[in-house]
Amino acid sequence: MECDVLQETRPMNRALKASGWIMIGLGVLILLFLGYQLVGTNFLTARSQDQAQQTIEERFVAAQEDIEVVDTLPPPPVDPGTGTIPPEDEVPVVHYGEPAPEQGEGFGVLTIPKIEGEHVLFEGVDRATLKKGPGHMPWTPLPGQPGNAVISGHRTTYGAPFFDLDQLAPGDQILIETALGTHTYEVRTSFIVSPTAVEVTDPKRGAWLTLTTCNPKFSARERLIISAELVDGPNLAYAQADKVFVPADAS
Amino acid sequence: MRRLFGLLPGPLPARVAIIIVLVAVILVALFFLFEWAGDLLDSGGVVGPGQ
Repeated sequence: MECDVLQETRPMNRALKASGWIMIGLGVLILLFLGYQLVGTNFLTARSQDQAQQTIEERFVAAQEDIEVVDTLPPPPVDPGTGTIPPEDEVPVVHYGEPAPEQGEGFGVLTIPKIEGEHVLFEGVDRATLKKGPGHMPWTPLPGQPGNAVISGHRTTYGAPFFDLDQLAPGDQILIETALGTHTYEVRTSFIVSPTAVEVTDPKRGAWLTLTTCNPKFSARERLIISAELVDGPNLAYAQADKVFVPADAS
Repeated sequence: MRRLFGLLPGPLPARVAIIIVLVAVILVALFFLFEWAGDLLDSGGVVGPGQ
């Protein structure tokens, strides 16, 4: 009788033991996964950032020779409300351009004083480039140029450059240094959209910077968008003129 | 583990080689699994049609 009971419970014990090992295995896998994503990837990005920091100055010096005047515009009206047209002899405002970086190349330094972030910016938003640091969408203007420059970055992995991006409020400054100089932006708005809300990358009059990252933290369900406007830099006057400029053939 | 090792065919060096290949395959598979699952945690923040 006792033997029968033992024989009946033996397969049950084996099944319990096997499921216990499976649970332990899964637990170890999850720990390895979290360790790799939240700690290991940071080392990979830190190495890329260190290497890029060493070469970014060379890029700045080399690109200086190729900085050129792209366009000129008449200066904006003294009072945009009244539409006062400036005198003919006023000096036109100049749009300075810099050479486009290669895909994956470090071309600028992004500094966000409020969240104590300083990161080398790379060209491209593909998976490999974003592992190195924040990436610039190549089909949008470079930071500091008129239009809407878009930069994406990881929120919680690969150095988490945009971990505290939700702390930015209107008025906070974002600085981007490129070969052309330092471009200072001021945050205007922040909002949350779906990952497919491609309209946040649409062109804009003036000079704007759009930062995009995953939201909420530890999830890629939504995107946090920070929209900032250029308030200082080599192309500020041009950007302001561009905002109010009406082409002659548009009337 | 020892029982599994014993089940492998061939002489000892061949078994060791099989184990090394198996471990490498498992590590590569884990890497891709982690990369794929990592996109659920944080995909890089890009906005676009394919996201």
